[in-house]
Amino acid sequence: MILLGFILLLLALLGAPLFAIIAGSAFYSYYQEDIDLAALAIEFFSLAEMPVLLAIPLFTFAGYLLSESEAPSRLVRLTQALLGWMPGGLAIVSLAACAFFTAFTGASGVTIIALGAILYPALKQAGYPEKFNLGLVTSAGSLGLLFAPSLPLILYGIVAREPIDDLFLAGILPGMVMLVMLAGWSLWVSRGSKQELVPFSGKRVVAALKESAWELPLPIVVLGGIYSGYFAVSEAAAVTALYALIVEVGILREIKLAALPGIMRESMLLVGGILIILGVSLASTNIMIDAGVPQQLLEWVSGLVDSKTSFLLLLLVFLLILGAILDIFSALVLVVPLLLPVAAQYGIDPLHLGIVILAAKQLGYLTPPVGLNLFIASYRFERSITEVYSATFPFLIILLASVVVITFWPQLSLVFLSR
Amino acid sequence: MARLSRWGKAAEDAVLVILLGAMIVLAVAQIIMRNGFGSGLIWADETLRLMVLWLALAGSVAAARADKHLAINVLARALPPRGQSISRFITNGFTSVICGMLAWHAWRFLQQSIEFEDTLVGGLPAWWFQVVLPVGFALMCWRYFVFALEDIVAGIRGTRRWPVSPGDHTP
Repeated sequence: MILLGFILLLLALLGAPLFAIIAGSAFYSYYQEDIDLAALAIEFFSLAEMPVLLAIPLFTFAGYLLSESEAPSRLVRLTQALLGWMPGGLAIVSLAACAFFTAFTGASGVTIIALGAILYPALKQAGYPEKFNLGLVTSAGSLGLLFAPSLPLILYGIVAREPIDDLFLAGILPGMVMLVMLAGWSLWVSRGSKQELVPFSGKRVVAALKESAWELPLPIVVLGGIYSGYFAVSEAAAVTALYALIVEVGILREIKLAALPGIMRESMLLVGGILIILGVSLASTNIMIDAGVPQQLLEWVSGLVDSKTSFLLLLLVFLLILGAILDIFSALVLVVPLLLPVAAQYGIDPLHLGIVILAAKQLGYLTPPVGLNLFIASYRFERSITEVYSATFPFLIILLASVVVITFWPQLSLVFLSR
Repeated sequence: MARLSRWGKAAEDAVLVILLGAMIVLAVAQIIMRNGFGSGLIWADETLRLMVLWLALAGSVAAARADKHLAINVLARALPPRGQSISRFITNGFTSVICGMLAWHAWRFLQQSIEFEDTLVGGLPAWWFQVVLPVGFALMCWRYFVFALEDIVAGIRGTRRWPVSPGDHTP
């Protein structure tokens, strides 16, 4: 058992796909428990018994579609027209635009590629220090993770069996805390630098609004539709996908029909990768719960910590280490079912737990050695990875501070909910 | 061989495009029917859920071809070219075996389903929908088997198979 675990761990570290590792361990546990291995296929088939899953391919596709269109530059022009007049404005523009965009694209690195390419040169031109720009764009690339309808939020809801619309509400204030703390830091750092400010002009705001007129209704339709009870989360995803398709391909014609299959394929690679992990872990999680792994985990944890506060501290350390190794989607699917019962024993609300996990995992995008954003930024902006590390470090510290705030102030996550 | 691979990719693209397109249309039609006419297609919800399963398998097969399944690549990246080939041969071979086992047991599940005459979506044979499991896993088994063979060739020639590009450990 221990030997096999060690071999699987080694294979995982050598780069074997995680779904194969999970399936391998599930096969072994089934074999040990004398369960027919065909049960794994039956568990996998239960992917077809979860109605909310529909939201994952549809939101992902809509996000990819938006990022391939001119929507990112329109979004930057709009926020620029609204906020560009104040000192440090462009830095805040960058943060806000990235957060908004990531919420829709699900933090798969698309933001740095789509928005970073516009913002990075713009910041430089406006006179912000080079290193600051690199750090800002890299760390902003996963900022909107806590805002609806981000993919990780939906996935947590599915795995933890919590209502996804409640999770959307829970993410608002913690997401704002991250945004505001980073904005404050940006203002502080850029206070001395010479920037070209653009005076506020009503005309420009109107022009930018007009230009974005087709995309602006999207968040209203999605969130308004969900909270008015007009449609479910998966239906909101369908509406978003169809709307984005009609606007970007049919009306604005920024995406050629011939390019559409390629975009569909690209987006479904990510979806396939997430869903197959979810499918095989349905099998492995069930057997772990049957074998009493959460109870053992709880016994072990309660030997280490006795209060809610110290548990949260331990959880945070664990999540930060995990974040440096495992991507957010695999981590959610693997760890959440085991953490939930333990956290419940310490009186932690599952919604708050979800927000803490996502916030801490967001740091994982920026922590060496595997932080995805670091690699994408290094590649995209042609900077060495060490340069990106050091440029991102101050932002990482600020984000860490915000995660601590979010963790130890549960009301931030729960204030909009009747719990 | 190259033609086979082109045809395979075209078939994958076609399946993905048709599934995703049909999914969007069906889901939106369902909302309009329910809110506009107070009715809905009885089979639509179940069909949509089965389409998600199909999309999961089709997307996984496509992700296997592009070698973009979620994985941890830190350690292997640090290895010299020949070491990378060996490590990739091991991991791809392992993945191929696991996919083969998944395909085999999914096939057995399918046979049971045929034997018991399980039905879905209002009376259609369940195996019509479940057949995607053994087929999808078998295709992935083949893909990783080909990767493993390529790794042997790369190992003998000493060529590096991994370009240093970002984010290839996450799609």
